[in-house]
Amino acid sequence: MVSSGNNAGLSAHNSQLMAARVRSAVWFLIPLALLVVIWAGVVSLFEVNPRIFPSVTSVWQAGLESVFDGTLVRHIGASLWRIAVGTTIGLAIGIPLGIAMGVVPAVASFFSPLVRFFSVLAGIAWIPIATLWFGYGFGAITFVIFNAVFFVVAYNALLGVSSIPMQVRNAAASLGAGRMAMIFEVLLPGALPNIVTGIRTGMGFAWRGLIAAEMIATDLGLGYMLFTARDFYKTEVIVLGMVVIGLLWLALDRLLLAPLERVTTERWGMVRS
Amino acid sequence: MKSLTLNQLSKTYFDPYKGTQVTALEDVTLSIAPGEFVSVVGPSGCGKTTLLNVIAGFLPESGGSVRVDRRPISGPGPDRGVVFQSFALFPWKTVLDNVGFGPKMRGVGREARDAIAMEYLQLAGLAHAADRYPAELSGGMQQRVGVVRALANEPDVLLMDEPFASVDAQTRLTLQEELIRIWLDRQTTVLFITHDVPEAVFLANRVVVLSKGRVMDEIAVDLQHPRKWDDLIENDSFKSLSARVLQRVRAA
Amino acid sequence: MAWVRLHQRWPNLAASLPFVPLVFSWWLTAWLEVFPRAFFPGPGDVVLSMISLIYKGILPEYLLDSVTRLVVGASTGVAIAIPLGVLIGMSRRANTVLWPPLLFFQAVGDIAWLPILLIWFGFGLTTMTFVIVYTVLFPVVLNTVLGIRSINPDLLRAARSLGASQARMIWEVVLPGALPNIMTGLRNGLGYGWRALIAAEIIVGTSGIGFLMFDARRAGSVVEIMLGMIVLGLLWYVVDAWILAPIERATGERWGMVTR
Repeated sequence: MVSSGNNAGLSAHNSQLMAARVRSAVWFLIPLALLVVIWAGVVSLFEVNPRIFPSVTSVWQAGLESVFDGTLVRHIGASLWRIAVGTTIGLAIGIPLGIAMGVVPAVASFFSPLVRFFSVLAGIAWIPIATLWFGYGFGAITFVIFNAVFFVVAYNALLGVSSIPMQVRNAAASLGAGRMAMIFEVLLPGALPNIVTGIRTGMGFAWRGLIAAEMIATDLGLGYMLFTARDFYKTEVIVLGMVVIGLLWLALDRLLLAPLERVTTERWGMVRS
Repeated sequence: MKSLTLNQLSKTYFDPYKGTQVTALEDVTLSIAPGEFVSVVGPSGCGKTTLLNVIAGFLPESGGSVRVDRRPISGPGPDRGVVFQSFALFPWKTVLDNVGFGPKMRGVGREARDAIAMEYLQLAGLAHAADRYPAELSGGMQQRVGVVRALANEPDVLLMDEPFASVDAQTRLTLQEELIRIWLDRQTTVLFITHDVPEAVFLANRVVVLSKGRVMDEIAVDLQHPRKWDDLIENDSFKSLSARVLQRVRAA
Repeated sequence: MAWVRLHQRWPNLAASLPFVPLVFSWWLTAWLEVFPRAFFPGPGDVVLSMISLIYKGILPEYLLDSVTRLVVGASTGVAIAIPLGVLIGMSRRANTVLWPPLLFFQAVGDIAWLPILLIWFGFGLTTMTFVIVYTVLFPVVLNTVLGIRSINPDLLRAARSLGASQARMIWEVVLPGALPNIMTGLRNGLGYGWRALIAAEIIVGTSGIGFLMFDARRAGSVVEIMLGMIVLGLLWYVVDAWILAPIERATGERWGMVTR
């Protein structure tokens, strides 16, 4: 039973929350804006050679140009597309496989060192072999991304499932849970915090792997944009690229991955391992 | 030992959730004589923890003054020792090093401060635990360490913030009797915060009832020392005092 | 049942056991030439290559180069990161000013810095060290701050009531209190750090395991790439599982604190 008084209180609370969020966003941006100001100041004051470090305006202009002639969009698109494909495949295979390995404790402890070994190796170290197997381009890069996500997520899923207390699983069994129910009602939710942490970590490796791979293995994408600009000392393109990479990852991590992680662990009041 | 004097002490702060100023303490005037043991009781939210935090120097006062002997306080310091509800022992230090922490901060050398620490540990009957880590001790033992750690620094005043609330009921009774024993031995000036009325009466010379940040009443406790639970639990004086205090607290 | 007993009594043996079927299936896949030999050599080829490279002194030298760079870079990174983390953790003001740039620069990532570093410092040790320091810095700072924030505030108050000055408090309470989290940060940082090292060696290097792999790729020689990957994997696995993880666990458990 919700009285109108409570409703008023709730919407007041919500608008307070909104205001607080806006405030914290502003407080987040101010130091960065300050940094930009310092940047502009230093470059003009010391008359820094544009081949060493670009001015704010040149980066801004380079940005506008590349947006309008479509190159930036193409590069971003290529990079994001590779991430999306690699991540999706990595999750689609990694999560079920990790869970399957984690279900039986003996199996889990058998595979654990193996998967851990590969998750430790995941990502960048595979670039040379990936380019050999798949040639330069989409295949190799997406493989590196897939690889980074797959092993880390599988390992974390394995850990997550095997750390669900046996009592909880037994309770579910004695309440009549069948195989499917056990997976979707017990194992998956129970392992979810670990899985989400794995996703976040794996994507971190994947993102880095992406940029590195794009520097040497292709002719389209953010990494490529960065690396070729070096040949022409086009520092404004480089810095533009760095800023774009930073913003993209910030957006991805802060707006998607971190809240996801927070929600799954807080929601269920579990202590994160 | 020194006296503790509160004069028209007040404390207000801004509550971000309510968006208003909240008065935690108002016009608190209290004089504690050297060597006196005073308990402060009150319902939840009456401000007793805030009171202790202000006296300890963890929070600044909004008005009025806190003086140890004549001197007004400024910030936390070794003159006012604190015993915390959460024990607050340093988990990475042995019991001996925990107790020796205060002397260490004063620049006392290793041998001397170990000796001081051992002396106080013996006082609490914990000499055998000197080389253990806090995590290895029970709650009751940890709090005994907490008490002697504060005492080993020879403070002018001892402030105790619901120190036995996190300990099981049986151990609590034992600790209370031990606290009295130590107090009689050291003649410490003590301010003891609690929500447990019988505990407040058992320990103190005087019980102060706090409510909504104000002092409601002060009740003298003239029971004989040394006090033991076995004796007092059926004692008429004790029972009527406890009842009176409880009535005061509930009426507040 | 026997497996569980084995696992409890000889955990190291149990940990190595799963690799046996792995190596076997590897050998089998290569022997059956499921993939062309040139693309998928077998364990035997890799071992032979390893012996040859050790004999030529290349493998030990490259390994030493890589490890040295990582250690130097990581130590520098940690030496900068911990004080920075303490500053941010303890000062509200420092936190407000420094936290957003910290997050932003962490998001930019070490590798994105390579092009401009190459312009500034060329293809050399400075560039690589910078990348590693940069990479290790962020996890350590962030975890240090997290560690400081999760210290029971009563501990800080207790220290002040016992007469500790700010400096002593940092040394006696803040750092030990944050240590489990700092160890976690170090472990994460090294995880990112060695990846950054490999990437830098692939793109920039003149020596090192990463360079070995890249050079082998240029020559089309898969065997050495695989060798490099195995060496890396083993090295990091050993360091992480036998050195870093136990330290992380020990600091947390010894002091009865919940890690992370």
